[in-house]
Amino acid sequence: MVVSNIDLTTEKIEVIKPSKFLGTAIKDFTLNLSDDYRYLKTGYYVSLHAEVLGSKVIPSCENIIDSSRTPILLLRAAKAGIPTLPFLVTDSVKKIIAEIGFPVAIFAVNPFIHNGYKTAANKSALYRAMKSLGMNYKFAVCAQPLKGEMVSVKSIFGKSEGDRVTKEISEQVFEVFKIPVCKLHIQKVEDKTYLCGMQPLGRKEISLNDLKTISRGIALISERGEPFSD
Amino acid sequence: MTKIACFVERYNFSDPREEAALQNFRCAAEKLGNEFQFLFRENIADIPKYNSVFIRATTDPLFTAYIVSKTAWELGLKVVDDPESITICANKIHQYALFEKFDVPHIPTVFLNKDELHHREISRIFREFGKPVVIKAPYTSFSRYVEKAACETSFREVAKRFFKKSDVLAVQKFTPTEFDWRVGVLGNEVLYVCKYMIPRGKWKHGAKLRGKPTVIWGRTVALKKEDAPRGLKDVALKACSVVGKGLYGVDIKEVNGDYVVVEVNDNPSIYAGYEDSRDKDIYTKIIRYLSE
Repeated sequence: MVVSNIDLTTEKIEVIKPSKFLGTAIKDFTLNLSDDYRYLKTGYYVSLHAEVLGSKVIPSCENIIDSSRTPILLLRAAKAGIPTLPFLVTDSVKKIIAEIGFPVAIFAVNPFIHNGYKTAANKSALYRAMKSLGMNYKFAVCAQPLKGEMVSVKSIFGKSEGDRVTKEISEQVFEVFKIPVCKLHIQKVEDKTYLCGMQPLGRKEISLNDLKTISRGIALISERGEPFSD
Repeated sequence: MTKIACFVERYNFSDPREEAALQNFRCAAEKLGNEFQFLFRENIADIPKYNSVFIRATTDPLFTAYIVSKTAWELGLKVVDDPESITICANKIHQYALFEKFDVPHIPTVFLNKDELHHREISRIFREFGKPVVIKAPYTSFSRYVEKAACETSFREVAKRFFKKSDVLAVQKFTPTEFDWRVGVLGNEVLYVCKYMIPRGKWKHGAKLRGKPTVIWGRTVALKKEDAPRGLKDVALKACSVVGKGLYGVDIKEVNGDYVVVEVNDNPSIYAGYEDSRDKDIYTKIIRYLSE
């Protein structure tokens, strides 16, 4: 069963709208496609509803939450062998300077900011980044050393545009977290690529080409049956 | 010797009764030959240095406490509250769906999606539950984000406010009682029992004074767990069994002799002289659980 709030280009597969799905009690393998998997949003509740019904669902609630919390994303990714950089969760500017230094990439770790990151090459830029992403120093942030170039790529069923290493990391991340549609923040350092963060892929960012990729992905899953073992 | 990290935020020390309880945990741990350190958010990187983590800061999948819990869990440490308990207890939609699935007696509840906020659905809910009803945001804690609505206008006003953060809300039958039972449970065993009294003229344990930001709390009356009704303890244990095996505070209402669960809370309040006043051993039992 495919539940989607994204208008797909395929007519071959029956797609149920999330609001309708939440009112049903159908127990079946569920593929939950959404442009917003944030916790407490409809994309999350679709997976929750499927799990409570006892269905296998992609993505799982655990993966939705963990992939949106950068330190947990990195911890689990590293455990699975995906290249990541060392990171520090703190609300202390001094600690970031002492333990990571400059330049540094800062990701939010709070309930309100889900998108993007900031980079800082000096102390005043770091203070600005901490003030913004730490919401006036009220919340901790996740700091990672900035050793190369930050790149953001769309990942659809683990497929992404880019060079071989980018494609590899996208596939690896999908293998672990199984978020069908998302944006990955990666860092390219010479010939190596590191996962730095993940965020929802907004509706406006989904192109016609992406819709075709999504439809192809669904068709593939339909052919194979339940494709992913958690 | 077990090295226990107790994850706290600054606000955990703002109430002297909570601070005293935290010191009681430290004393209990040291008496049992363990190391007990307070862990603040700037020292999260130190988690691997410990054997177990005890979270006292407010938990929610979006809060730092979840990062601490999941990190400890992934590293194989014993952790209270574990990430799964946080996920279930911090989202009342998740919790009530499990109560429904596993037949845990609970307050009559319906879920309301964002696109169901229309006259027909609101009227249906009022017909089913009568007036007023209680609207509960899934992320409620400490009696916050739970409000009464007696007409469609106030229903819409409350629901719209809560929908800003969550796309699904819980609506419940209004069930006023003089007090809520609070049953503390640890590892499938009752730890303590008390009554959370409802302040006079109010309908929940923590209530705001009209037009003021101040929250007044009802008294906490503890009783020996052996003296608490068997049926109450059974319902509390059944409710916890669908959540996990950690530390919980179960809120239960007694309605016409039946016990119905209001909610299961992870990270339950433990204030010195309140929850612990009849069962003094709660600190030792929790520390033992963490050091097993």
